[in-house]
Amino acid sequence: MIPLQVSPFQYVANGVVFSSIIVLAAIGLSLVYSIADFANFAHGDLMTVGAFSALFSVGFLRPMLGDAGVFGLPLWFFLALAFGMGAAAVISVITDRVVYQPVKGSDSIGLLISSIGVALVYRALVFLSFGTEPERYGVPRQGPIPWVRETLGIAVTPRNLVVVMLTVVLVTALHLTLTRTTLGRKMRATADNADLARVSGIRTREVIFAMWLIGGALAAAGGVFLGLEELVRPRMGFDILLIIFAAVILGGIGSVYGAMLGGLVIGMVHELVPLFNQWGIIPVGSRYAAAVAFVIMVAILLVRPSGIAGDSG
Amino acid sequence: MKRALDVSGVDSGYGEVQVLRDLTLHLESDEIVCIIGPNGAGKSTVLKTVFGLLKPWTGTVELSGRDITGEEPEDLVRVGMGYVPQVDNVFSSLTIDENLKMGGVARESGLQARIDELYDQFSILDEKRSAKARTLSGGQRQVLAFARALVMEPEVLLIDEPSAGLAPNIVKSVFEDVKKVNELGTAVLMVEQNAREGLGISDRGYVLDQGTVAYEGDADGLLDDPEVSRLYMGGADYEGVEGE
Repeated sequence: MIPLQVSPFQYVANGVVFSSIIVLAAIGLSLVYSIADFANFAHGDLMTVGAFSALFSVGFLRPMLGDAGVFGLPLWFFLALAFGMGAAAVISVITDRVVYQPVKGSDSIGLLISSIGVALVYRALVFLSFGTEPERYGVPRQGPIPWVRETLGIAVTPRNLVVVMLTVVLVTALHLTLTRTTLGRKMRATADNADLARVSGIRTREVIFAMWLIGGALAAAGGVFLGLEELVRPRMGFDILLIIFAAVILGGIGSVYGAMLGGLVIGMVHELVPLFNQWGIIPVGSRYAAAVAFVIMVAILLVRPSGIAGDSG
Repeated sequence: MKRALDVSGVDSGYGEVQVLRDLTLHLESDEIVCIIGPNGAGKSTVLKTVFGLLKPWTGTVELSGRDITGEEPEDLVRVGMGYVPQVDNVFSSLTIDENLKMGGVARESGLQARIDELYDQFSILDEKRSAKARTLSGGQRQVLAFARALVMEPEVLLIDEPSAGLAPNIVKSVFEDVKKVNELGTAVLMVEQNAREGLGISDRGYVLDQGTVAYEGDADGLLDDPEVSRLYMGGADYEGVEGE
């Protein structure tokens, strides 16, 4: 019994799920911008690499583990997620050593252009290894959770809940790492003032290494969740890259917490577009979701040029 | 006793542009030494070269008799040298406490005890432990910048223009803090635009002109030298007008 009029809460629920994916991706992009000092255009394709690495691992994990499940998803999915995160983290570190470190002598424009090249290489490798067709993880089809449907009148699947809950766990873990551990403080110090970090005796290499591990793993988590919610496509990360940039810029570029906030806003606006249309606030439907998200971004930047959480001035 | 710092015959500069020429100076382990000189004389370049941010082209730098020529800042922090840059010398988005913890990342032990000690010595920081550094006033920020560098208990502290950008009434208290740093057992090599005030708290001074030492001597002697005063302090009449 699908209600004729979709509940506004349904759009909010969709927004929370989509925001989770954007937040995970935006964090890594923002970390790289603040610590390695360049806009990483390969970040979207890094998500794709993570998603496909997870898909690859499903091939051997699923036969091994069968379909025993937790939280409404098969156990192999969680392990594939971990595998994808690990693979993207390692690939990020290797890319840094092979491409970004040697180019570092130039400037952030040199690094940015190199990252476009890296993006093309990542995508080509995915095409070569997995072909061009969309894939699925093969998680069994799920209906909405009955009690949520009865109490709130909205359709939320177990996988939606898993995506949101794991995002909350990952973001909380990152927050604790950044604020409670020496490594995290070093990362924030380096992002704040790289010269002073060096003068204080912080070894930048170690910080950059950690940054790629964390950024890569979170990007992969975003990619796997996107693949779980939609399809695992070779262009999935690239297609979503501009929205992630919008989130990072909106939050205040270089600020990790800004990226979380920006991701939440952009993801939510993106999914609320049909609702706004229904209410007559805007004349366009969900086909223009990305455009509306960008308009909101521009509008907020006009009021706060340095972003929601950016330093003013 | 070995000299805390010995710089001899150093040439240095940025890229192809030479700034320092055959620079020789030293610092005893209980001294405050002030480098003064006109804009563009290379004062800050001296500190950057000593601290390894710039590599000397020729010459040697010794810290307590150990050759440290060309070593990296990250390593020098670990062998007894500290550096307080002129600008952006605190982590503004970190709390006071986190700033001090970052000052001590290279410490192997006793970090918390050392930080507590600094809170005792600089009570203004103690009151604001969990405030973000960006909320501090200019003078407080400078105190935090000193304290951050002192967490490592350096033998030698290099301070680049401690009075830069501060209101005149604050300048006095910042120089008092420099004296305090020295009294607590750290040799200080400082660069200062505000020549009279800087020499006023120093034991000795160097006048740097066009990248080399033009005059050197006791601080009092330099202050009283009519030639130095006329050439490098804008003369008595112009005191307070000079500066950036």
